[in-house]
Amino acid sequence: MQDLPPPIPLGAIFYLLRSGPAVPQVRLGLTSSFPRPEELVAATRELDRGRRTAEEVQGLYESWTGRVVDLESRLGFSTVLGGDLGRQDLFRPFSESTPGLEVGPLTRWFETNTFFRQPIVNAPPQWAPGAFARQVPFERLLASKIAPRVILPGPYTFTALADNRTDLSRQELAVRWSELLAREVEDLSAHGVKVFQLQEPSLVVDPPSVEEESWVREAYEPLAPALSQVDSVLWTFFGDGAPVLPLLASLPVETVGVDLTDTDPTRLTELAPGKGLGLGCLDSRTTLVEDPKEIARIVRDLFDRLEPSEILLGPGTPLDLVPWEVAEKKLSVLPQVRKVLEGAPAARPRQVAPARRPAPAKRSKPPAPRARSKPKPKVKLKASSKRAPAKGGKKRR
Amino acid sequence: MSEEERLFPTQEVGSIAKPLWLVQALKGQKPSPNALSDLERWRGRVPFVPEHDPRLKKLLKGEVDEVGPHGLRDLGALFGLRYLEAAGLDIVYDGEARRMEMYEFPIRQMTGFKLLGHVRSFDNKYYLKGACVGKVGLPEPYHLDEFEFLKREARRSLKVPITGAYTLADWSWNEYYLGKQKGWKGRKARRAAQRELLVDIARNAIRPTLKALIDRGAKFLQVDEPAAGTHPDEAELVVEAFNESVEGLDAKFAMHICFSDYRCLFPALLEAKKCSQFLWEFANRDTPEKDGYRDLELFNEFEDHREIGLGVTDIHRDVLESPELIRDRILRASKILGDPKRLYVNPDCGLRTRSLDVAWEKLTRMVRGADLARASLAG
Repeated sequence: MQDLPPPIPLGAIFYLLRSGPAVPQVRLGLTSSFPRPEELVAATRELDRGRRTAEEVQGLYESWTGRVVDLESRLGFSTVLGGDLGRQDLFRPFSESTPGLEVGPLTRWFETNTFFRQPIVNAPPQWAPGAFARQVPFERLLASKIAPRVILPGPYTFTALADNRTDLSRQELAVRWSELLAREVEDLSAHGVKVFQLQEPSLVVDPPSVEEESWVREAYEPLAPALSQVDSVLWTFFGDGAPVLPLLASLPVETVGVDLTDTDPTRLTELAPGKGLGLGCLDSRTTLVEDPKEIARIVRDLFDRLEPSEILLGPGTPLDLVPWEVAEKKLSVLPQVRKVLEGAPAARPRQVAPARRPAPAKRSKPPAPRARSKPKPKVKLKASSKRAPAKGGKKRR
Repeated sequence: MSEEERLFPTQEVGSIAKPLWLVQALKGQKPSPNALSDLERWRGRVPFVPEHDPRLKKLLKGEVDEVGPHGLRDLGALFGLRYLEAAGLDIVYDGEARRMEMYEFPIRQMTGFKLLGHVRSFDNKYYLKGACVGKVGLPEPYHLDEFEFLKREARRSLKVPITGAYTLADWSWNEYYLGKQKGWKGRKARRAAQRELLVDIARNAIRPTLKALIDRGAKFLQVDEPAAGTHPDEAELVVEAFNESVEGLDAKFAMHICFSDYRCLFPALLEAKKCSQFLWEFANRDTPEKDGYRDLELFNEFEDHREIGLGVTDIHRDVLESPELIRDRILRASKILGDPKRLYVNPDCGLRTRSLDVAWEKLTRMVRGADLARASLAG
């Protein structure tokens, strides 16, 4: 039986009765790891030299994670990540703990002077219950009362960058990885994680050919049921997102993100109805701090042309390519962008659609370790009557 | 025939680890018993200063302040120089004993840069990274004192390593030149700004330094460009940086590139006309399953006949390559190139990440491997 549409809130009806410029619904978030502060830099160096204990350094990680969470909260972000300060690279939490994987050689992280340990796949990877969850700073994240976000390596990028020594084809390995991620998403959401972000830089740096696109979609299929129960973001960076935007939008995620440094926003021409658009608008390859007005101009243009269900703003490339102080300055641009957008709305008056449907009851999930009251969904007004309602009516973060 | 004129001259590429006694003393600390015992052990193998040297006597007594930073750095340079000479290398330097790091040291000599903080290279390894905040300038050429010192002391030929303009630009944030670009700072704007930055580094800092070194007698200089392969579409910029750096200068120049996809640098690299030798890392990628030296075919493909500095020992692993393996690598490379006279033999890159003991073993085995290769061709 089809769900009946929920009643339209009074506020939305009132808003519909007047015409006026639309304000893009913008969410802000830390979409990458955050740099380690100088104190942690010194401490981790001393740890390697045997002059600090692991417990001491762990204490510092926790306290600085708290500082990042505070920063995210202060800047009005819709999610908290905590900066992933202890994570050595995107894959390491998995390559260190997943049966079938091994930590491999140092490998250049795209076009940067930063390196990651290439995961070596010796056997079909198997989910290690709780291994990744143990590395998520739940206490700090949940204490913030803001939706926790975690970052996971997407199947395309994982299979592009791993050294596959099994008999599995790349596609088979991608499917296997998706199955593993699906278990991870279910497990973490039971712990209270609300937003899952899949990092997929390889989709734009080394994009699939047209023929290969079908297997990318198939590779995401095992993830679809798990992602349909949570808020999901697919984030690309280090490459041009414009040519692959249709593919990105066909994958079972709510929001697809592109890196504006490498993507000419005027070449983003179409977005599937109901999809959110993520814009990596902070470039961690320069210490120059971005101009909020310039970002707002791009956001407004894309909002008008693509009509995304929402816009998510965050760093494009991982922010840990700049030092802490610079990263902090850059992040503080995001609320300024929102202010500019709110203060000077889009030029074209538009019909406004009803508010997003309140979230229907979700599929029963494993009990969360901590009981938390659900935040009430805010009523946000959508800017276009043409826009399709958000999938499942979930509250996005 | 000089050592350099024989087949397969052996050479160092860059830095070696600083001994513990030097690290501690430069921090103003009295060397620990461990450090002193290490010093004595190494003096047995590498007698870098005579017993009666007053600096050594003071150091052994822990009177670090009496030796002073200048005296300590001289001792460090002497140790590095004699270490490489004693290992049997034909072409040496001082293991970059006076330089704190290949990026930070030159950046500190230039104007227009501001060091902003540490960024991660990998795991718990970081480097202090700077931003270019003004037009690049150079008050005084650098590396001159160290070269003058080594010129007096060296018993073998010297090759001066210097970090290249492309790498210095790539490892810096570009605020000044990028800030001049109008509008959104996309890839095109970044590229244009990066070109401006590296050309200014090359013209205003590297070229005057190379010239000053050559004026003081340097005959062989190696431009280090480890960042060369970072951006596969920037090979022209790598070459432009090199050409700007050496324009109007007369000496033997080499270019060191490592851990890169060399193919992406071709054919642009061939336009570095004044580069007589390319030193590349190969051993790291050479396994029983995969011939790591096949990239040498690029030179055949493009009919380029320059010298090759052949990386024959891996600098990222403690595993010690046998002299026989090194011999085989040299012979394999000779066969690919078809001309053994073009080959120099060296580690993949600087051995700084290895302990002095491991580096010593690697270097002495490399020298023995070159001997074996010579004998093999002679016999």
